[in-house]
Amino acid sequence: MAVRTRAYEADAAAAAALDTRLAGIGTWLFLAADLFFFVAWWFAFFYLRALNNHQDWKAQGIGPPSKGYGAIVLVLALATAITYFLGSRQATMAFLFRLLTPVALVLGIATCLFQGYEMWHLGFGLTEGGYPSVFSGLSGAWVIQFALATAWLASIVTQTGPAGDTIVRRQPAASFAWILLYLAAIGLVNYFLLYVVA
Amino acid sequence: MVVSERRLSLPNNPITGIVLAIPGYFAGVWLGTLFGLDDDQNTGIILGYLFATAAFLIGIGFLNYPLERLFGWQVTPVTDPAENTGIGRFFRLSLDHKVIGIQYLVTILIMLLFGGIGAMLIRTSLLVPDSTITPPGNYISLIGLHAVMMIFITSAVIVGPFGNYLVPLMIGARRMAFPRLEALSFWVVPPAAVILAAATFWGGFPTGWTGYPPLSVQAGQGMDSYIVGFALIAVALVTSGINMLATIIGLRAPGMTWTRLPMFVWGIFTTSILGLLAAPVLAAALIMLAMDRTVNTSFFLASNGGSNYLWENLFWFFGHPEVYIFILPAFGIIMEIVPHFARKPLWGYRTGVVGLFGVALLSWFVWQHHLFVSGIAPVLRPFYMLSTELISIPTGIIFLVVLGTLWRARVWFTVPMLFCMGFLFNFLIGGISGVYLSDVPTDVTLHGSYFSMAHFHYTIMGGEIFALMAAAYYWLPKMTGKMLSPTIGRIHFWWMFIAFNSTFFPLFIVGLLNMPRRVAAYNPDLVGLNRWVTISAYFLFGSMLVFAGNLIYSWFFVARPAVANPWHARSLEWQVPTPVPAANFDRVPVIVAGPYEYGIPNARPVADLGGIVGATGGG
Ligand SMILES: [Cu+2]
Repeated sequence: MAVRTRAYEADAAAAAALDTRLAGIGTWLFLAADLFFFVAWWFAFFYLRALNNHQDWKAQGIGPPSKGYGAIVLVLALATAITYFLGSRQATMAFLFRLLTPVALVLGIATCLFQGYEMWHLGFGLTEGGYPSVFSGLSGAWVIQFALATAWLASIVTQTGPAGDTIVRRQPAASFAWILLYLAAIGLVNYFLLYVVA
Repeated sequence: MVVSERRLSLPNNPITGIVLAIPGYFAGVWLGTLFGLDDDQNTGIILGYLFATAAFLIGIGFLNYPLERLFGWQVTPVTDPAENTGIGRFFRLSLDHKVIGIQYLVTILIMLLFGGIGAMLIRTSLLVPDSTITPPGNYISLIGLHAVMMIFITSAVIVGPFGNYLVPLMIGARRMAFPRLEALSFWVVPPAAVILAAATFWGGFPTGWTGYPPLSVQAGQGMDSYIVGFALIAVALVTSGINMLATIIGLRAPGMTWTRLPMFVWGIFTTSILGLLAAPVLAAALIMLAMDRTVNTSFFLASNGGSNYLWENLFWFFGHPEVYIFILPAFGIIMEIVPHFARKPLWGYRTGVVGLFGVALLSWFVWQHHLFVSGIAPVLRPFYMLSTELISIPTGIIFLVVLGTLWRARVWFTVPMLFCMGFLFNFLIGGISGVYLSDVPTDVTLHGSYFSMAHFHYTIMGGEIFALMAAAYYWLPKMTGKMLSPTIGRIHFWWMFIAFNSTFFPLFIVGLLNMPRRVAAYNPDLVGLNRWVTISAYFLFGSMLVFAGNLIYSWFFVARPAVANPWHARSLEWQVPTPVPAANFDRVPVIVAGPYEYGIPNARPVADLGGIVGATGGG
């Protein structure tokens, strides 16, 4: 009878294929969970903004930080994700992978540093109402996740050397690109909400 | 993978974890005061709990793999087979799903003891109608500690021990998809319980398990335990959800098609979806609450641009799916066990699966029924009333599947089967009383009373815990290699069943007579009923001691070694030897039939255990 044997094969190639499949499934499950996390923050944004209790959503003199500065952070995040995405595609040659992942790492670190700098120089205090609360919480939650992803990226970079195993496990490494792209996309939505809609 | 010769030689065990956690806590407290934030040490305490937990996990060995990935260091392997045989493996980070299942089982039984003692203290306080035994402030703290501890337990009490142990065995896998995530989902639970218990040093917290602001923003430092402990449980729900779903999707044996999946696995599958998606919402809400309490943001303070309804919405958007996280695995257990003892095929397999998914799906659209009396816009009430009432349809379907399986069966009334029958009786009462609470007119009068308290105890204790007991008597012989005494088991069942109903049924009446919940004092006219309930509750606690006694008696004194398949069941987990071999299956089984095909002429055995020669299982 015809049975599906995808999960269990004798050879190493099949075991690697299984690892790849599981990494892919795990990545998408994680992204689904994390999306609900950010949806909760977006809900808080719209809810408090619509309610505007005591006219304290944005009290007198409080507004978004510099749009241009926020855009720099966003562009860096997008560049990190796209660089890694291009480097980790199947078609990409191994040397390009080794070239582009460190570039992505540098961009990722820059993203975190720029976002961190902005958060120390907001121009408003955290206690000054609804918008400052949501801005600090949402940006903070995002940059912490981006920093963790950057640390993971660092582990991939260290594994791209001759001693590492990422070259032979390219497909699991490739599914990590979806996490970076996803976080960059979340950053895009956050920028739209926090700087444009505000 | 080529790795350098460098070794990281920290002995990884809970002792190291605790030794690291203590300075970790004080480092967090110090850091909190360093920033000089003018709160009541809340920053320091929250950071302290987080640092202590992180240090504990590092001591257990969770940093080894990331370090290995980052620097190529050779670190102590956590699954050294030579070390992985003795009793010591239960006290270490193990990546074996069978070890994790037992670790979960023991941990949760210990937590259950503390949660149960909390319940006894509450009932003792209610022996008198005034608050002389327990002052009001202490009473509400007691309610909160009992409630949150029980929520921690019931979130994991089936998925943790039985899901982890059995899912790979039931789908023909030799391992879990993500053993490290699975281990993490266990090892955050003991710190969560300890941190919750630490609230007692700060006088507890006054909000019950729902943590409503503004009280939770203003409350003392015990509230920080609630935040961090609950956040750790959210981590457990997400990691366990990812691992379980990826395992069931990706590691089923050849021939284990979706329509041959055991119902228990379907219960775990649906509950994992809910945990995976609901817990992140709770995590976000807890971060907001922590920020309000430490850096004085105002997410939830109406006086400064926030809103307490924001918390109520986020909390219950998590909170309602959370109660189905409790019950879906229980439904799975009942639909799993009943066909084996009815010796009939499960009646309406696909219908039962649809029922599970129906409950899971609807659970996202009902959360406002908790806010009927909290200032919800009146126009929203009919929608949430209707969506909540709709849940009785998939639930009814699940009952129908079980009753259809029992119809004209010659039932083998073993102890697990008795608990299944107890479940059906209790959950019917729990479910029907829930309909009254979904209807706005009755909810408005009953919501704040013991009626609602009796309702959810009928579903959680009468439902989930009775299913847990069915699972324990059914599967523990496979997991521990020892049969539990059926005689003590029968005494346990009848004792628990009668004591449970005698405790909680009168509380419906007490509720209808307007006794408010969460309050230490009550109308003296109700003292007779309350004393009846308290005495019954003591007996109920006693029945749990009978269970504990059965475990000890059967494991240590009159050990009756369990044969591989004591119930003569068809399903896959019973086809492997007892004790279960390290890799579960010598060869990967090829599944050729469904698990419930009893009494069907020429039914094939469930699997060809000869399997595929040389299969790796991806191990
Ligand atoms: Cu509900």
